[in-house]
Amino acid sequence: MSVEYEAAIQLGNFAYEAKFEARNEIVVLFGHSGAGKSVTLQAIAGLVRPNRGRIVVDGRAMFDSAAKLHLSPQERNVGYVVQELALFPHMTVAENVAFGIPNGVDRERRTAELLELLRIGEFAKRKPATLSGGQRQRVALARALARDANVLLLDEPFSALDDALRVTLRRELLRLRAELGLTIVFVTHDLREAHLLADRLAVFDAGSILQFGAREEVFRRPVSRRVAELTGTSNIFAARVAGRDGDGGTVLEIAGSRFAARTQAEVAPGADVDVAIRAERVNLRRPGEVPNAFRAMLTEEFAFGSSHTLHFRPVGAGPMVEVEIASRPYEVLGVAQGQEWLIELPASDLHIMRRD
Amino acid sequence: MRTDRTTLATISVLTAVFAAFFVLPFAGLLNRAIEDGKTWELARSETARTALWLSVWTSTVTLALTIVFGTPVAYLLSRARFPGKSIVDAAIDLPIVLPPTVAGVALLTAFGRRGLLGEPFEEWTGQTFAFTTTAVIMAQLLVAAPFYVRAVRSGFDSVDRRAESVAYTLGASKTRTFFRIVVPQVRPAILEGMVLCWARAMGELGATLIFAGNLEGKSQTMPLAIISAFEGSSLGLAGAIALSMMLLAVALAVLVVFRLVSNREPWQA
Repeated sequence: MSVEYEAAIQLGNFAYEAKFEARNEIVVLFGHSGAGKSVTLQAIAGLVRPNRGRIVVDGRAMFDSAAKLHLSPQERNVGYVVQELALFPHMTVAENVAFGIPNGVDRERRTAELLELLRIGEFAKRKPATLSGGQRQRVALARALARDANVLLLDEPFSALDDALRVTLRRELLRLRAELGLTIVFVTHDLREAHLLADRLAVFDAGSILQFGAREEVFRRPVSRRVAELTGTSNIFAARVAGRDGDGGTVLEIAGSRFAARTQAEVAPGADVDVAIRAERVNLRRPGEVPNAFRAMLTEEFAFGSSHTLHFRPVGAGPMVEVEIASRPYEVLGVAQGQEWLIELPASDLHIMRRD
Repeated sequence: MRTDRTTLATISVLTAVFAAFFVLPFAGLLNRAIEDGKTWELARSETARTALWLSVWTSTVTLALTIVFGTPVAYLLSRARFPGKSIVDAAIDLPIVLPPTVAGVALLTAFGRRGLLGEPFEEWTGQTFAFTTTAVIMAQLLVAAPFYVRAVRSGFDSVDRRAESVAYTLGASKTRTFFRIVVPQVRPAILEGMVLCWARAMGELGATLIFAGNLEGKSQTMPLAIISAFEGSSLGLAGAIALSMMLLAVALAVLVVFRLVSNREPWQA
């Protein structure tokens, strides 16, 4: 169960180039709309023909520009769920699901199985227009599985649903994946959804993949300022490499203050770099002797229920910093506006990105 | 509260006046038809029956030709991109806004005995189009087909193209997708187009009169027979009323059938 993907597409002014793979896992294609996520799925499904590249599904070449190979969508056998689903409105739920079942398969039995799998048996005779958003979503998934596809392409499938329903359906998707051993390529612009579902993550921007890797790798160690921004890192500082410290780390100068970074980076002293640290990795410390810290005052705070987002302005040297802290420590520490704290940027969480 | 009442009263009065304006002509027609006492007899006259039969079968041929030629055109206009598409689009709408008499003159200049195509065609085959039953159908086709093309085109426009893409990924061929996914969704639009086209063809007068003439049994359709009756043919005014009643009945029957058929699409709601 795998997808190996490499393609370049020129569509008018839109230049696109991407390379990634998926093996028995969920790969999330993440990025803003228009970044090239959907066209990737269309290329895998055979609905768009790339100018160059090679697409292999389960070891079978679907597209290969060198060999002039381009299988039609009918020949590819990948399950495809489009945004807003595009259920067949004139057919019942059962007819929708049965539409893709190949000849020679016991149609009635297979339909019943699929309806059972997605828990929509009771709606078999209803038309899509009479169903709720979540029910329709299940119909679309059942329909996409009708050909026994091992690879499922999902294009923002949950975007039209409310939060509670999305949670349920994401869980459902993880169950399906486990039960059927599916390889899933999942498109979303929702950061939390990407984080929840991804085994590996491809960050799209303006027609290309900026970074592809394991989820934590991408979130913790973005390769560039742009990836850090897209993946929701709120603290990105311009910095200069001041030198090496005794432990093999890097000494950074950020807004007039020096910090040590433990993270690996091949940067020469004197180089201008970007440094990222996620808001939830920043520590609040009482005044005292703390390495890698600077004094700052709390100027703004936002309560999100389970967590608080705090904005600090440096007192003296140091950068402006956003800190995310869970509600419980927030209360225990007695955080309040106007207070002065030591802001610690842990050396192991300061991530250095080269500027290219 | 007071303004609400005033508004409501105004709307009611306006509606009543407008409704009366629409209902009274039909009431008048019905009233005269009953008073005359000869309506039934005149409606069964040779002239009336010939005209009705001619109208019905020419309109039906027109509709059949429209479906055969118009459906692909509607599909292309909805789906294809080609240079000059907006011109084709406008050209198809033209007969809808053009006075039918102009359409008739235009037909004469193209297919008449001195027409662009009519003249060489007559030299070659010895046949003419003008003032024949063929001319009746040509006039109807030019005037009525655009109504069908327009309706069906908007039908194709409203089909979710992603549903077609999904059908392909589910293994369905283009043909199967067209007939199982597209056509069922366009069916209401096709029915609407058929009704509009056929009704427009039944009522065609101006273009037919100029291009096909007013020859009983050959080109005298119902609307032409009504004109003739007014101008003093054997049927007279009572005949005109009888023929009008016949057309009215046909129109009502078509509307009722259309409603019955198109109401079978509950998923549209």
